[in-house]
Amino acid sequence: MEHESVPLYWRNIPAYYRLVAKRCKKCGEVYYPPVVKCTKCGSAELEDYQLPHEGELVEFTVLRSVPTDFLKQKPLVIGLVKLGPVKVLGQIVDAMPEKLKPGQRMEVVFRRVVVDGKYGLVMYGYKFRPRP
Amino acid sequence: MQDVWINGTAMAQTGRHYGLNADEMAARVLEEALKDAGYPEIEALFVASATAEQADKQQMLGAYIASRLGLDKIATYRVENADGSGGAALMAAAMAVRSGLYNCVGVVGVDKPNDVLSNQQQDIYSTATDAVYERYFGVTPAAQAAIMAKIYLAKYEYKYEDLALWPVLMHKNGASNPYAYMRKQAKVEDVLESELVSDPLRLYDVGPMADGAAAVVLCNKKGAAKLLGMWTSTSAIPFNNRPDYDVLYSAREAAERAYRMAGITPRDVATAEVHDSYSIFGVLAAEALGLAPRGGLLAALKSGADLKVNLSGGLKSRGNVMGATGVYQAVEVVWQLMGKSPFKRVDGSIGVVHSMGGVDKVSTVMVLGL
Ligand SMILES: [Zn+2]
Repeated sequence: MEHESVPLYWRNIPAYYRLVAKRCKKCGEVYYPPVVKCTKCGSAELEDYQLPHEGELVEFTVLRSVPTDFLKQKPLVIGLVKLGPVKVLGQIVDAMPEKLKPGQRMEVVFRRVVVDGKYGLVMYGYKFRPRP
Repeated sequence: MQDVWINGTAMAQTGRHYGLNADEMAARVLEEALKDAGYPEIEALFVASATAEQADKQQMLGAYIASRLGLDKIATYRVENADGSGGAALMAAAMAVRSGLYNCVGVVGVDKPNDVLSNQQQDIYSTATDAVYERYFGVTPAAQAAIMAKIYLAKYEYKYEDLALWPVLMHKNGASNPYAYMRKQAKVEDVLESELVSDPLRLYDVGPMADGAAAVVLCNKKGAAKLLGMWTSTSAIPFNNRPDYDVLYSAREAAERAYRMAGITPRDVATAEVHDSYSIFGVLAAEALGLAPRGGLLAALKSGADLKVNLSGGLKSRGNVMGATGVYQAVEVVWQLMGKSPFKRVDGSIGVVHSMGGVDKVSTVMVLGL
């Protein structure tokens, strides 16, 4: 699949690079992906909230049938990681899947995610790895 | 409020239809459904398609399907909810008749995923995940289904072999359905030996994508089956923040509301067609429809219960016809209630359709009665 939209990538850099979520100023609920309005208390006053870069593995799978962009990286380990108040879904790297276990400590790393085949745009983002 | 009846039904055999364009394939099936209904004058056409732009580079498919049949001056609408488009189009069409605006409308579901290569099918299917927070990172519906399967199996202390009973049942059902894509029986060993797609899910847990088209004609006058209740519901919770991974929230809500509207309970359901794009979703959907208690469907399968679920073979055997799926399911349930070939008449007069888009993003449940 071709990622022809530079603005689409650019505007999501805070999330991709730094895991910036939203927190409700009124009730403190944290949202990732961000919401436009707090679904808990209804307040529209939300502030940026930096998710912690360490957490705990909830569950994972080794995905062998991947989209075109990821053929060279196949298989992908896709995991659900609890980072403070929320869970985040993403790729797990630097790990042997057979050694991964729910509950183990994980940390966020910054990696290349995909290289655009058409314009050569290199796109980055967070991934997870077991904490050494 | 007008009563809504299904006056005409038709479907094409699913598979690889390399010789037909999407609009032609849809028009042929719609023509059959119109014929079945006695050629009423339809005032609107609702088209369900998940892949028209991506696989066939066509927008406004309804207008082109209408052109193929000379259905001039009617309203056309395209409804897209990924692989749940069929249910959503049926819901929109039913509302249009129920409101009294139209006397008769056509609903046609069509998708031709085999017009593209299998990797491109993965690209298309993954656009049903969140483009920014999921798809960007390589997440696909299969990966999400796999995580849900792992959590479900662990929570209720099942083995993968227990989940394998679902595809075995689907193949058994689909083997006698000439409209199905995979018409062969399968043994548990076949499932266990098939290649891993996203552990624990194997090839046999995945509904193969197939080209297909199905159509129904809905009118406010008496027809083959009556629409007793119907509801569409989203689950607004992002996948990463679900409180529970062993339930389909959208299906549960849609079923509850549709059953209430129809005044039925799960005991009244004689047959159900559910959206098993992955085996685990078939299990969770059947539980959401109340056909087994939460966590209990595989136990029922293990004990040899005679479940009247996906007599068509479901997405596993009939094929995942993407946006057309919900319309296929409606046709199948009507035929099962009527005892129309290739289906034997089921023991009861009420059938249920569950159509779902993506991984529990939006479900439609439809209750049909004779
Ligand atoms: Zn709040």
